[in-house]
Amino acid sequence: MRLLTAIAVAVLMMPATALASDLDELLADGRDANYSAEQIITCSTPEGAKDSVVRIRQNGGDLYVAASVPSDVEVTSGYGGWTLSLAGSVVASTALDGSGIEAEPRYEVDEGTPAAFLGRRVTLYEMRDGDLLRAHLMFDNEVGALMKAITYSDDGDVYCERRFIAFDPSPPPLSFVRRADAEVVIDEQEVDSSLPEELAGFHRLDEYAEDGLTFAYYSDGFFSFAVFETDVVVDMDQGARVAINDGEYRRAFSPGQVTFVWETRSGGMALIGDLPPDMHEEVLDELPAPGRVGWWGRLWRGLFG
Amino acid sequence: MRHAGENISAYLDGEMRADEVRRFLEHLAGCGRCSAEVTALQGVRSAVRSLPMIELPRGLVPEADSVPTPLRRNRGLIAAVAAAVVAAVIGIAALVTPPPESISLEDLNSRFGARVSLDPAFGPAKVVVPEIVESGR
Repeated sequence: MRLLTAIAVAVLMMPATALASDLDELLADGRDANYSAEQIITCSTPEGAKDSVVRIRQNGGDLYVAASVPSDVEVTSGYGGWTLSLAGSVVASTALDGSGIEAEPRYEVDEGTPAAFLGRRVTLYEMRDGDLLRAHLMFDNEVGALMKAITYSDDGDVYCERRFIAFDPSPPPLSFVRRADAEVVIDEQEVDSSLPEELAGFHRLDEYAEDGLTFAYYSDGFFSFAVFETDVVVDMDQGARVAINDGEYRRAFSPGQVTFVWETRSGGMALIGDLPPDMHEEVLDELPAPGRVGWWGRLWRGLFG
Repeated sequence: MRHAGENISAYLDGEMRADEVRRFLEHLAGCGRCSAEVTALQGVRSAVRSLPMIELPRGLVPEADSVPTPLRRNRGLIAAVAAAVVAAVIGIAALVTPPPESISLEDLNSRFGARVSLDPAFGPAKVVVPEIVESGR
């Protein structure tokens, strides 16, 4: 009886957070998982639904993604490498040597709820920023794979749902374009950048510089984006022109990603990331504002540099 | 891909070294946009060169006139011709000024994708299908 009482007291005295799971540990386990799967991505954006179906193979931290819709698009990525192929031909590849610093997560996950999904035992977690539900994450109990991720805007509406529709925990080996094969190789550098260290709750983790281009990577422990600054303009014919914070931007959504491009007096800027729509305005507000170069400015720049 | 931009003018003016010309032509062979830009600029330059020579209006150069005209009467004509010349120079400059250099969104996507793969959250939650590239084919 004394033993039972002691156990009961010990359980009652445990802090509530001890029951909760660590988001970074769950994500790390998911990253190390080996499997193949088919995934549906459905995103509700201000420009309508953006959907895709992809085949995924994850092996040793490398990720291979082949899109069924649209077809012929293949992405191989992992540990700083990224290669895009269209119809079997490499279109672009980059190898990046960065620190991979981890951001302090601003989100908490609960202790999880057991469930079943695709005939497997899984655990469903709620990811919250205070009282605000930001995501539901479902991890496979055995392999650790992230089977389902639903992200939400601050009004409670679903932004993107990614869920496996087929899952195989025994994937074939994965071939991957390594650093030596990449077209562009970039190393992390000390950059004298004007970009802020903290940006609307996101931490700047690292920066990179090339000829006429600098970029920084921001994360809040789950969502992330990169901000690019160039001394030239960024080509983007797709998407819509939108006015945000009195500035004009070009915005495009693809399944799971948003892109903003804008012109500044010294060149161009772009933001690429997976932010839910309610975060866009706050983040853009803290970055250099759009500023158009007029006809005379273009003429002057064209004639005299 | 970085486009040739102002290098096009240097190429057309014959100001490039041999190795620069070789690199430029290699780029041109694989870049439809720059190739089209070179063709367009060559066309403009040819058009300007083929303009007929015109006789200066009487009164523009007083010494050339057999009968000197009062300077006061020439001022308006000189101002008009000068304005026309300035406008013509600006117009031609605008035509031959290459568009601003640019960087493609695919290049930026490539860099973002490489950096994301170092993210602890990298995995199925970060899968992106580059729709923009697909539609731009």
